[in-house]
Amino acid sequence: MNTPQRRSPAASEKAREEDRELLRRYHEGGDTTAREELIERHLPLVRSLARRYAGRGEALEDIEQVGAIGLIKAIDRFELEREVSLATYATPNVVGEIKRHFRDKGWAIRVPRALQELNASMSGSIERLTGKLGRSPSIAEIAAELKTTPEEVLEAMEVGSAYSTVSLSTGPGGDDELDPLETIGGEDEEFERSEHRAALEPALDRLPQREREILRMRFEEGLPQTQIAQRVGLSQMHVSRLIRKSLSIMREELLRTPPGAA
Amino acid sequence: MTNNHERIDLEAPLSGDFQAVVRLIIGGIAERVDFAFEEIDDLQLAVERLLAEAGQVGSVQLSFEVGEGSIRTRVGPLSETAVADALRDGDAPPGQLTLRRILQTVVDSFGVEDAGGGAIVVRLEKLKGLS
Repeated sequence: MNTPQRRSPAASEKAREEDRELLRRYHEGGDTTAREELIERHLPLVRSLARRYAGRGEALEDIEQVGAIGLIKAIDRFELEREVSLATYATPNVVGEIKRHFRDKGWAIRVPRALQELNASMSGSIERLTGKLGRSPSIAEIAAELKTTPEEVLEAMEVGSAYSTVSLSTGPGGDDELDPLETIGGEDEEFERSEHRAALEPALDRLPQREREILRMRFEEGLPQTQIAQRVGLSQMHVSRLIRKSLSIMREELLRTPPGAA
Repeated sequence: MTNNHERIDLEAPLSGDFQAVVRLIIGGIAERVDFAFEEIDDLQLAVERLLAEAGQVGSVQLSFEVGEGSIRTRVGPLSETAVADALRDGDAPPGQLTLRRILQTVVDSFGVEDAGGGAIVVRLEKLKGLS
């Protein structure tokens, strides 16, 4: 397992060689299981980097998810001729993705602490009420349990769940990324892009396995969030956030990917 | 519209900064008809995905017709021809995640109306306690 912890030079070299072999299998042979293994091996790095951004009004799990997108991009873009290790190459990608996430949702991290605390306590309240009532609770029921008003519950729902969908005028996120405007060509190409993005499928494999599985359960099996939450061991609010973020990330990916290249 | 229905009209900028405001308003309207948390989340997601397809420039009109345990929402005009086609087409093949499939999952019914000039209006209906 490739962890960010200190290890002996021999162990580090062995891990680099294993990474390189997996990268070769993925990039030259199209072996997607090698890609999955690379993601798993480097998730501890993502978690370590994500922890630096904890305590800013965003759930650590959400920051980790955003960081994982940066890791996947790094794996997909890695060129085998590079002399650097994957961990070295991935680190600025992961950090860049996290920073962009915070920049895009700047308003949300300025919300009052009381609302952030209410949001944090809502998750447990929804779980308790769902278990007790056998259905998803209403806003009034959540407010009654938390001894607050429905309006405050609605405001708190938005805390930590809001994020920006990609803007065509959004600037590039890093030196190696094109501004979305630069990737849009003439009329025909733009039309093709519109058609392309109507189906989000090509961007699905950009997501971590857990998010893909959640989307599959929601939109293929048609399971409600409450059941998905039970299956994956997360709160319903967290499942909701993951669905929304995953769909937004997929669309963002499609806007960045030249038509026909996905 | 019958006397049992109330209507709220809203014109909102399409820039991402205002999508949270639209979500909040949908939450407030849905709370009035006692929608469950998950039902509110579904309606918010449906509108959010449509607005995401509408681009980031200009504004969009939303109207909410609130009935006994139901909310009918109209979003438009939207100018994306491809979005209209995606919504009018038949069922998405299994395993393919399209805008149509997302709407099929999160609302009880939806439809597309021509608004002239290549624009469309999307109708969504969400019922309490059915989906």
